[in-house]
Amino acid sequence: MSTRRTFLKLAAAASLAPSVASAQGAGAGKVVVIGGGFAGATAARTLKALEPRLTVTLVEPSPVYTACPFSNSVLANLREISQQEFRYDGVKRAGVIVAETSATAVDADARTVTLADGNKLAYDRLVMSPGIDFNWAALPGYDEAAAQKMPHAWKAGAQTTLLRNQLQAMDDGGLVVMSVPPNPYRCPPGPYERASLIAYWLAIWKPKSKLLLLDAKDAFSKQRLFQNGWAELYPGRIEWVPLSKGGKVTSVDPATLTFTTEFGSHKAAVGNVIPPQRAGAIAGQAGVADRTGWCPVEPVAFESTLRPGIHVLGDAAIMGGMPKSAFAANAQAKVCAAAIVALLAGAKPQDPILINTCYSLLAADYGISVAGVYRPDKGQLTDVPGAGGVSALDSVGGLRGQEALYAASWFRTITAETFG
Amino acid sequence: MGRVLLPVLASALLLAGPTQAADAPPGASSCTGCHATTRIADSVIPRIAGRKAADIVTFMREYKSGAWPSSVMGRIAKGFDDQQTDAIAAWFAAQPE
Repeated sequence: MSTRRTFLKLAAAASLAPSVASAQGAGAGKVVVIGGGFAGATAARTLKALEPRLTVTLVEPSPVYTACPFSNSVLANLREISQQEFRYDGVKRAGVIVAETSATAVDADARTVTLADGNKLAYDRLVMSPGIDFNWAALPGYDEAAAQKMPHAWKAGAQTTLLRNQLQAMDDGGLVVMSVPPNPYRCPPGPYERASLIAYWLAIWKPKSKLLLLDAKDAFSKQRLFQNGWAELYPGRIEWVPLSKGGKVTSVDPATLTFTTEFGSHKAAVGNVIPPQRAGAIAGQAGVADRTGWCPVEPVAFESTLRPGIHVLGDAAIMGGMPKSAFAANAQAKVCAAAIVALLAGAKPQDPILINTCYSLLAADYGISVAGVYRPDKGQLTDVPGAGGVSALDSVGGLRGQEALYAASWFRTITAETFG
Repeated sequence: MGRVLLPVLASALLLAGPTQAADAPPGASSCTGCHATTRIADSVIPRIAGRKAADIVTFMREYKSGAWPSSVMGRIAKGFDDQQTDAIAAWFAAQPE
């Protein structure tokens, strides 16, 4: 038995033996998890580790998960896309049944999930972690066909490779244009990390090229750290256009790679559209998404406030102050798994505390971070006052290089915990 | 292993109270996103499972006050009071290294 399994089993035995022993027959519980990303794979593995008698089925159509964190480094040729890829062997080894198909319908009253292969799964508790879908209707001119001309690369994989190839094929001096949607969206600092790492790559390979960052917002995550870093590392190369200066993109034309804003239009040599987003489509079908397109949940077990028995995790959920990040998804999944085991045993889940940490790279050896600590307060997850915040503005003692190393270590650790 | 673990487990039980045994206290499960529970992950971030509870508490207290420099841990430590930190430290100390 591996060290990890010993750890989890001991943790499980230590923490849950009394409540499980007091609830005879709780082991017959069935949990279905829809979506095998950082939230879903973590939830499935943790559920089995905490309560081996549970039947846990992970519904995920893709045999390979391509992770978004660090995919901006693939654009800058600092990593290969294969280093972003994770399979579900470790999830299966944990005793989880992996159904390699998609969920087509959820019946919250009958507590069943219908699968694309025709099977139907009954559940006592359902975990939905469908991630994001793009709200194609929200940006005129942009659809799935347009994404082949102006990649979003906001779900990592073929789109990441497409955008990297376009950058490499671009003439030196060509203008790279990125558009950033309004909040909320997956990975708040992600667009700015991407702009940084594209600028890093341009400075080496396309030194006459510049990057125009069209933004539907007037402020963004780790803004001063990014802007200080851009001035230090890439003077004059990145132009950020905020909402108030006409940064909001109102339509795009994939035939001419043109971005139209409220103030004018910009023709790109390479165009990257980060589209407006909402929870994965199955969330709408299940009735757990509200009119915003995202899923409201209570802050202890992350159970939907719209459909009892369904827990929503990760990017799809409205998690109060917690951002849509891989770290947050993994943290929520561990809390939710323990809460579900408690609920199935007839116990009350404890009030959780959660941490988020997000690293961003501005160059291969230049990292910054934002952190937060969250707890339930007045019905939602709320920042613990006085905690959290961003890296120090003054980089002393090699802090930026240290945080770049921490970022890489974090990625190896969290993917090992998530996928086994 | 038993000789090393038993005293630590006993102190964990004392801290957390007998009814909850060594139940993972609030906040503990988030730590393992960075502090690996397995040796598989190649990491410059130290593993904390099986470390002395008193040492973990000392690091958290000094990071929180700023007496010891840190990148991210000072910002995180400020989210936990002494009792919460003690409980998390005792729980990790009771896990196999």
